[in-house]
Amino acid sequence: MSNSRPTGSRLDRRTFLGDVVRGAGVVGLGGGAAALAAARGQRRELVWQIDPHACIACGNCATYCVLDESAVKCVHSYGMCGYCELCTGFFEAEPLALDTGAENQLCPTGAIIREFIEEPYYEYHIDESLCIGCGKCVKGCSAFGNASLYLQVIHDRCENCNECAIAVACPSEAFRRVPADRPYLLKHQDPDA
Amino acid sequence: MNKPANLPISTLLIGAVVAVAVVVAAVAVWAIRPHGELGSGLPGTFGYSVEEFTDVPAEWLRWREVSSIPVDLAQPRALAVGAEGTMYVAGDRAVLAFSPDGGVLERIELDAEPRRLAIAGEDHARPGRMYVVFDRHVEVYQPDGTREASWPAFDERAALTGIALGGDDVFLADAGRRVVLRCDLDGNVVGEIGRRDEQRGIFGFVIPSPYFDVALGADGLLRVVNPGRHRIEYYTADGYFEQPLTWGRPGVAIDGFCGCCNPASIALLPDGRTVTSEKGIPRVKVYTEQGDLQSVVAGPADLAPDAAALVETRTDYRLRPPMVAADSGGRVLVLDAALGAVRVFEEME
Repeated sequence: MSNSRPTGSRLDRRTFLGDVVRGAGVVGLGGGAAALAAARGQRRELVWQIDPHACIACGNCATYCVLDESAVKCVHSYGMCGYCELCTGFFEAEPLALDTGAENQLCPTGAIIREFIEEPYYEYHIDESLCIGCGKCVKGCSAFGNASLYLQVIHDRCENCNECAIAVACPSEAFRRVPADRPYLLKHQDPDA
Repeated sequence: MNKPANLPISTLLIGAVVAVAVVVAAVAVWAIRPHGELGSGLPGTFGYSVEEFTDVPAEWLRWREVSSIPVDLAQPRALAVGAEGTMYVAGDRAVLAFSPDGGVLERIELDAEPRRLAIAGEDHARPGRMYVVFDRHVEVYQPDGTREASWPAFDERAALTGIALGGDDVFLADAGRRVVLRCDLDGNVVGEIGRRDEQRGIFGFVIPSPYFDVALGADGLLRVVNPGRHRIEYYTADGYFEQPLTWGRPGVAIDGFCGCCNPASIALLPDGRTVTSEKGIPRVKVYTEQGDLQSVVAGPADLAPDAAALVETRTDYRLRPPMVAADSGGRVLVLDAALGAVRVFEEME
């Protein structure tokens, strides 16, 4: 007895239609899987960032980055800032005077710009080109103030190395991989700060 | 006599390999540092420390700790003393009452996290009343712990951070709107104190962080902390600024108020002296009525677990400033959140 497919126009058409449907199913499944994989691939695009609530501002960011000038810089949450006249992120703990004299400034590279707003409030900006990410101002601001100064990886500088040298050296495991479409971990108000 | 069995050479080799593997694994586990290295290699000028400012000269230390009462609250925030030395601590969503010897008398559950509290004394129209201050509203409790009233919430910009009681008045320090609210016994606002008004010589409160305390003296004058200006200002209940009585100066030296904004909390001793507590470099000090430093109750060595805690950047580990109160016997009570205890100090002879 032969196992060959029966011949005849009626059976051929049915077979043909069945093949078409199966083929379309396979193509659809394949396409769906490919689209899903592509979408997942896009979501998996990650970059390095510092969790500001885990960072201890140890100074390693300034020296362990593979770049000549670290990709980590200080950033400022203006919403948390007290706009203090005596800013402990800007001034030494016991300044000689509350002015911008170098001897009174905490930042070794003079990267914080102090701007008068109205008596007795001042605004503080970071000059990114001068900041080396040492975190000294972060400690000063956290010790006495609202901790509105903190460190972040700046993504137009970061090379996004597979193994970030700072992440390896980070003693508080503050470095994380975060989605590239949300690359910054911003600080929000601490109710007791 | 039994002769020891000869082990096959393969078994010995396997045993040796396993032993070596175990030793190598143990050394690896011991040697590998999963947390990275401390030490950036930066010169000292890039380091930050306040250790040089933490020593308190011995001649100022004139108080001794006589007891420490553990507080079973994860986030104790407020402290008050009632009649007969009963201590009240508010935090989490509860108020705990302690007898003077530290026994828990009562636990009052609350619907929200409290910020401050005050117990009415004999100089108040309703002695024994307990006022619990939340972010934007106040709840009133009877001496037996039953809730008597819940005042309507204040303006959404309000951030209540201090309370003082006297006569028919309840004074609430509102850090959000930078004023002291004068309320009647039902919570109606009958006056505002300290709003910026240069015509009246009032330059306003500078409040960078939500620490803005108030106390009422036996002389009827309000002592209001102006933390951004590092001083204590005096006001009448009607809102007149008694500028000549103002005292306080910024500075990390022992007689100053350190950091950007201090003191964080104040209390008045029965003889009129002011007890202050500071954040940043935690210290509790006593000033005379004229504003001269008189003594130090506790310094950083007593109030910080270690020097590293003073410059901690992580929110969850930062030191909370100690809250202070004074009882009718002249003892200073310090709510030490790091220790989770109320510490009681007596002045030495």
